[in-house]
Amino acid sequence: MTNKRRIGVYVCHCGGNISDHVDVKDVARTLAGEADVEVARTHLFACSDASQQEMIDEIKDRKLDGLVIASCSPKLHTFTFRAMAQRAGLNPYQYVHVNLREQCSWVHGGDKAAATAKGINIVRAGVAKCALTHPLTPLRIETQPRVLVVGAGVAGMRAAIALAEMGLSVFVIERENEPGGWTSQVGWMGPDHQHGPEVVAKLLKEVKNHENVVLYTNAELTAKSGHIGDFTVTIRLCGEKDLTLNVGAIVVATGFTPYEPRDGEYGWGLPGVVTLKEFRQLLEEGDGPLTYRGVPVRDVGFIYCVGSRQTESEDCPEPNTHCSRFCCMATAFSGSLLHEHEKKFGRTINQYHLYRDVRTYGRLETVYAKARADGALFLRWDPSDPPRVEQRNGRLAVKVKDTLLGDEELEIGADLVVLATGMVPRKNGALDDVLKIPKSKDGFYNEIHIKLRPVETAIDGVCIAGTSQGPKNLAESVASSLAAVARTGALLKKGYVDLEPLVAKIDTSKCVWCNECLKACPYGAIERVLYGDKEVATVIESSCKGEGACVPICPQDAIVIEGYRDDQIVAMIDASLKETVPA
Amino acid sequence: MLKPDADGRLLDYDVMVVGAGVAGMETAASMGDMGYRVLLVDKNASVGGRAILLSKVFPTLDCASCIVTPKMASVSHHPNVQLMTYSEVDAIARNSDGSFAVELHKKASFVDFDACTGCGKCEEICTVAIPDEYNYGLVTRRAAHIAFPQAVPKKAVIQRRGEAPCTFTCPANVKASGYVSLVRAGRYKEAFALHLENAPLVGSLARACYAPCESDCTRGEKEGTVHIRAIKRFMVDRYYAEHPEPEYGPVENQLETRVAIVGSGPAGLSAAFYLARLGHQVTIFEAEREAGGMLRTAIPAYRLPKDVVDRDIKNVTALGVEIRTGHRVTSLPELKRQGFDAVLITTGASDENSLDIEGRDLDGVVGCMQFLHDVNVGKLPDVKNKTVMVIGGGNSAMDPARAAIRMGAGRVIINYRRGRQEMPAHDWEIRGAEEEGVELMLMSTPKRFIGKDGKLVAVECISMVLGAPDESGRRRPVPIEGSEKTVPADVAVLAIGLAPSTTDFPAEMKNGKGLLVANPQTLQTADPDVFACGDCVTAPTMIINAVAQGRRAAFYIDRRLKGEPLDVPFDGVLDKTGKAAVLEEAKRFVERRPVPQPALPPDERRKTFECYEKAMSEAEARQEAQRCMNCAECSQCMECVSVCAPKCIDFAQKPTPLSLNVGAVVVSTGFKILDPATKELLGYGRFPDVISGPQMDRLLAPTRPYNAVLRPSDGKEPERIAIILCVGSRDETVCNPLCCRIGCMYAIKQAQLAMGALPMAEITIYMIDVRAFGKGYNEFYEQAKDMGIEFVKGKVARIEQLANGNLALHYEDMLGEGGRKIREHDLVVLTVGFLPNTDVFSLYKGGELAADDFGYVREVDPISEPARTNVDGLFVAGTTIGVMDIPDTVLHSGAAATQAAAYLERSGGRQ
Repeated sequence: MTNKRRIGVYVCHCGGNISDHVDVKDVARTLAGEADVEVARTHLFACSDASQQEMIDEIKDRKLDGLVIASCSPKLHTFTFRAMAQRAGLNPYQYVHVNLREQCSWVHGGDKAAATAKGINIVRAGVAKCALTHPLTPLRIETQPRVLVVGAGVAGMRAAIALAEMGLSVFVIERENEPGGWTSQVGWMGPDHQHGPEVVAKLLKEVKNHENVVLYTNAELTAKSGHIGDFTVTIRLCGEKDLTLNVGAIVVATGFTPYEPRDGEYGWGLPGVVTLKEFRQLLEEGDGPLTYRGVPVRDVGFIYCVGSRQTESEDCPEPNTHCSRFCCMATAFSGSLLHEHEKKFGRTINQYHLYRDVRTYGRLETVYAKARADGALFLRWDPSDPPRVEQRNGRLAVKVKDTLLGDEELEIGADLVVLATGMVPRKNGALDDVLKIPKSKDGFYNEIHIKLRPVETAIDGVCIAGTSQGPKNLAESVASSLAAVARTGALLKKGYVDLEPLVAKIDTSKCVWCNECLKACPYGAIERVLYGDKEVATVIESSCKGEGACVPICPQDAIVIEGYRDDQIVAMIDASLKETVPA
Repeated sequence: MLKPDADGRLLDYDVMVVGAGVAGMETAASMGDMGYRVLLVDKNASVGGRAILLSKVFPTLDCASCIVTPKMASVSHHPNVQLMTYSEVDAIARNSDGSFAVELHKKASFVDFDACTGCGKCEEICTVAIPDEYNYGLVTRRAAHIAFPQAVPKKAVIQRRGEAPCTFTCPANVKASGYVSLVRAGRYKEAFALHLENAPLVGSLARACYAPCESDCTRGEKEGTVHIRAIKRFMVDRYYAEHPEPEYGPVENQLETRVAIVGSGPAGLSAAFYLARLGHQVTIFEAEREAGGMLRTAIPAYRLPKDVVDRDIKNVTALGVEIRTGHRVTSLPELKRQGFDAVLITTGASDENSLDIEGRDLDGVVGCMQFLHDVNVGKLPDVKNKTVMVIGGGNSAMDPARAAIRMGAGRVIINYRRGRQEMPAHDWEIRGAEEEGVELMLMSTPKRFIGKDGKLVAVECISMVLGAPDESGRRRPVPIEGSEKTVPADVAVLAIGLAPSTTDFPAEMKNGKGLLVANPQTLQTADPDVFACGDCVTAPTMIINAVAQGRRAAFYIDRRLKGEPLDVPFDGVLDKTGKAAVLEEAKRFVERRPVPQPALPPDERRKTFECYEKAMSEAEARQEAQRCMNCAECSQCMECVSVCAPKCIDFAQKPTPLSLNVGAVVVSTGFKILDPATKELLGYGRFPDVISGPQMDRLLAPTRPYNAVLRPSDGKEPERIAIILCVGSRDETVCNPLCCRIGCMYAIKQAQLAMGALPMAEITIYMIDVRAFGKGYNEFYEQAKDMGIEFVKGKVARIEQLANGNLALHYEDMLGEGGRKIREHDLVVLTVGFLPNTDVFSLYKGGELAADDFGYVREVDPISEPARTNVDGLFVAGTTIGVMDIPDTVLHSGAAATQAAAYLERSGGRQ
């Protein structure tokens, strides 16, 4: 065999994640002797800086023209190693990532020989693909220094102010008539005793005063085209007029929806059974002692985890398995507000908090401690036997088995039963169709990686902020929105963005303009052009995502995706079918 | 393009980020991405903070490395981020224009980072093991080390806390810590070579040095000082037995310059050694018939056998040094005429002080030096069955007394004018003498010597009482009139002090006490080509002082001969390591009792001049060496220097201070881990199988210390693991009412990982509430329950160890029937709480950086203005405001980056 290429193959132990199940040394040894492979080695952590430096040195010293790294998922480290290749002077697109962890070691634990054999084959496939790479150059496009913020709750407004402070122009759109979101509807908030409407008013004033921010209410995003750095978005104002804007990035802060209990769930529907929000309105709106429908309130039961931490059952076929995070603190805090209220009016109001686990994490623990000091009684129930709320003699009766009292069943007479309803994903309907942001299992918008890229989405240039990504309290929500600003700022302050060159290419000699590709493309990246005297399809590279719907549909076989060309795929298949010969 | 600040200076960076954990790295990278120039400072050798030390991370069970290494690489390669590791910020002050003046320093790593390749050779050979903070003390690391396999930058650092007390205290700075650690490692030849760097008379010192190192040994505060001299004795005996001749000859690069040394005592021999190593032509003139000075003539053979002195002298003569014995120098000009370019006088102090009382000239009244000289050269005085009275209470009184015993004296009395407490001799010398039968006659002084036929027959003594203190602070003895008594004696040895042996030199070279006058730094006399050192300059002192002076004199004579200025310091010695910190860390060390010094019993000793101290065996010496507490961490054994190919180790490196101006500051200095031993009843520190949560993470990490999940006490795979939540969190008894926020989740993660690693193990989590509140966390908790991990609601009150080594947990079971219960486990993990890192508050000098009620940095408005502190322009990122998980930290750091960017835009602080 003659070596056409000089490829470096690096097999990662992943500190045992791979090497415990795949004999990585054997993989490297085997590949070392194969065609086009100049060198093959293992690294304890290929991603570590020291290993990267060794690979860089070797790429330079041995003048490598291709690179195969067999390690974890490409989702984690494609960009790490592309940057490394760049530093080594190797075209980043001549590097091929082989997922030896998720696709081999993690799924084949227990049979090291077989896993190693498979590992060898998939690395071979990577080498075969790498051998057919050629240098590619990213498409550099200018970015627009404008941002669309979707949602004018606290997270959205705070993001808008921060973006404007960075010198970017910001358009904020709010579906509702009034900005402020949920925060404008709650009064005092724990743990720092801030007043929701005041927080909103202060932000709104800043938004309105900032010359770089334009706020549209009754406004909905109805269409989006373009790409990172340069989107064209259509805003429908008051349901009639359309506004077209050109923005470089989008921050989505559409918030959450409160859980709506099912009829009968913890007595929902009975008079006196209210949500936490309704309770707070009762408490804060009146100027006298707390009454409900004219009756003085003497006993209040709070039921936690309503609509959160659910398990699948007949009543609940699509459970919300997540914890809503804010409600324990908010409910315990409400207990203290109720205590202030009883002190103010010189009345005794008994309060019973029926919980599963009190999740007042971190410093929020102080809120829980204060509620107990303020007289709140906490009773712990088990989801196998949840509290039951019934109507009895014009009052409510809550039956609960307190697990801390040897499962003794208690019956609590109550004038009000407050359901601490959780946060559920907002049904954004049409907006979801426009934005196309993937969702995670819990139905909230999904970030790329919770720790590595927590505000970015699979849609480049679109960041998520606040509770649209998952339950948060207000401070956390704002922190996440400012994190989204940091990413957006980083994107737009630079003035340009490099787009992936892994896009569709059309062989104009084969193309006969049958229109099929245009129909298949979800990104509107196909255009008809005149090529000599014939009509052919061409790709708008800045719009193409390289996702490949056009490739199989083309009757002329005229389309390939760079980086996933047919010859590369065939070579990979051939290589991975090669019999494994141990080194 | 730099923008001058108010004082016309330029901004060095747009922002400085302090602390390169997840928060600092994220903030720095974010701001770098936005185009700001960032300085990222961390006091540790690597970035990565605490997260890089984790096993996997919840709830996705990604490797911690997979999460953290990309961030580490990104800050290390970011074109806009300048990384400064192993550096500490000393002060931050706000300038009037809103920028910040920053003082910081790069710590001395003793490694040139630019040259270090991270090869790890120094770590492999390093002889000092210290508890590895990166493994939370589960195992040890080396003093020369790379923090951990994924370190960024991957550079070695040599950890030196200062000079070890032993090395610092030694007048010659002999690297006692170094040769002790080499002996511990079994590298005796290297230990000997290291000793030669500071003192060539290794054998003599191993026997006769008063070992000031031992009196300053930190182990002395515990079970008793490390017997450093005995370790040296083993080492040098072994070396000399294997190497009867030195392994070297004269150095290759011989110079023309000639140096004359007058006197071949320890000072002269040492100076000759170092001068000859530098290539100078050295001649020693010795008046006695044999070289060695006091080593030869004063110290009795039972302390220092003369063949050892001979072998020590070979170390010097092998370099080409000529010793002319029997040659007394009486004229310095004559030496110059002979062509010597420099002269060093080391004539010592062996002239005797006289006692001016009646009968001084009687036969039988002798000076101590004379007596010992005769003993040592074989002219044994006849004391058989006679009574010998030695007058004096110093070490020099012990030698003739004990020698007399060995020569068969019938009675030996030491007559001293103060009490036992006041005797200047070492206690062990006095005890040794007493054991051998020497009598102490205290609070007594001779009034006259009584003779018969010119020969001494008795001494009239008078009793003393201690009066008022004299100028030295010691109480002056006053005779009690009328208390005279007569003690029969045949020989009286006067050991009442020595005078400098300088009678051959002109008066203008001496002071009133007869000592030669030399510059204490350079040892140069008024004649620039004549130097003087040792006892003739300092008055009588220890051998090791003379050795130290000899090396010092050689250093400056060499400079003089090379025409180099003499106003340079001699030795770069660091400050002495404080013992308090060492002792604090040592609280958890096992007790190590001293290895007994092998010695002849007193009855045997009386009969022989044979050395009564015996050498330790190899095993004993190495065991004794194990007792060294590595006070300074690095022992300066120099092994790393010998293997470092790029020659990047530099023990002379000093901290580098820096003053910078930056536009804004972000502090991300993180948190501290509560010491689990605070919860005493849970047994951490007492029972080895009670470990902390961070330690459990290390056991589970890919780079885990034992490469398996094993319990520390016996390496057994645990079968019944308990994880106890809220240890020191939500706990007023340790003044930490806060929930630690991440304990529940990291415990569940550890439980899941342990279940994977040990499929047969039962795992129980003792909890108050399970706080699984983040995205995917509750699902992760449910998954743990489905996997069979047991959750017990109840607090563990105390842990006791059972006879079988397992641990009994006493806890309250709060569910079901409830009640107090006891359950047996074989590994217990304490999910410890966290404390604020309050170091951050001392950094800001422009006023007060506000703290919250719990000691974390306070955000002025946590809802609308996350990351903003009370100091405009100084922001806070991550766990510095309170512990949080990695996702929350990353978000908060993004917010900090945004806030700092907005501040820079507002203040125009951007470059």
